[in-house]
Amino acid sequence: MAGPGACHEDAEIERRKTDSIYHQVKEFLDKGETLAVATIVSTRGSTPREVGAKMVVTAWGEILGTIGGGCGEADVKREAIEVIRTRKPRVVRVDLLDDISSDSPAVCGGIMNVFIDPWWKERDAEGAGK
Amino acid sequence: MSRLSEELIQIQEQGAAAVLATVINAGEKGGVEPGDKCLVRDGRITGGTIRHEGLLQAILQEAENRLREEKSKSVALELPDAGGKIEVFFEVMPAPPKIIVVGAGHIAVPLVKLAKVLDFRVIVMDDRMLFANRERFPQADEILVGDMAAALKGLPINSSTYIVLITRGHKYDELCLREIIHGPAKYIGMIGSRRRIKACFQRFKEEENIAEEVIQRVYAPIGLDFNTETPEEIALSILAEIVKVRRGGKAQSLSGK
Repeated sequence: MAGPGACHEDAEIERRKTDSIYHQVKEFLDKGETLAVATIVSTRGSTPREVGAKMVVTAWGEILGTIGGGCGEADVKREAIEVIRTRKPRVVRVDLLDDISSDSPAVCGGIMNVFIDPWWKERDAEGAGK
Repeated sequence: MSRLSEELIQIQEQGAAAVLATVINAGEKGGVEPGDKCLVRDGRITGGTIRHEGLLQAILQEAENRLREEKSKSVALELPDAGGKIEVFFEVMPAPPKIIVVGAGHIAVPLVKLAKVLDFRVIVMDDRMLFANRERFPQADEILVGDMAAALKGLPINSSTYIVLITRGHKYDELCLREIIHGPAKYIGMIGSRRRIKACFQRFKEEENIAEEVIQRVYAPIGLDFNTETPEEIALSILAEIVKVRRGGKAQSLSGK
């Protein structure tokens, strides 16, 4: 019952590959780098992105993905570099209430909690399937 | 599989559904630490660093709820023997939604087109090659020709799968329904008049001993009620029902009229 849709399927897999943030994570880990994966784990009020949004930060402060941009993101980036250095995860509370007068696009009036998690190759291998 | 990142990549490539649970807060004692993980796929734990049995069970249970709602969320789990309150973030990776159109007749043509517009993955099948072919369904992701009930048996069906039974005859719809009614599909819709459907469900109860609540899952007659006339309108009404099942809501005019 093989359908003639095989080529469509390959194209879709290719598309998903480029979408996957974990592909990029793996590439960096393979080079021996430690990364920080920052994820919005809870929000209150109006926030630029939803729970589950992710951003990957490298030791040099490069960023892949976004958790909404603006000052909040800059704070998270700073904390992420610390997380990479110590290899200890932490939760960062990003308050978008306090700088209502700024021109930043991140002024939404909400609060979000961001979990910053260090990933490195050996740790990644520890979580392997059984 | 040797690494968690590789498993996550594979899940995405296969279009599978999974939940990655990560501890984001834990007490001092109990041996559970922030950053500990657990990957849940097909109702089983397939990876991760969490070894605490009680916590794994609690995660397994909650992962199922998260997957059903298709929503990532952090949840506080109370586990006295693992150091008290443990906050876990459940990252939901839902499978891309898929519609299986069983029967490639005159409703299937606009149904497949509209389903592609709505970004579903679409599989269409029939036992007649004259109907199930690339000319009629240029946009379908897969076209299957052969015994429909057997084909359904061989397809992966999960909680992001929507199945539309619109074959050329009620007996085929019924044979196919038997094959999938106990499965995990999010939606099963079957075409037919109320009278025929009633007779079908009666047989299911009497001959197959299928419970009332299982039968209640089936959307039959199929579609939302807006006095459809053309095959295109029927296709729209079926898809409107599918979107409603997926997203929720009342499917009434927002104006209240």
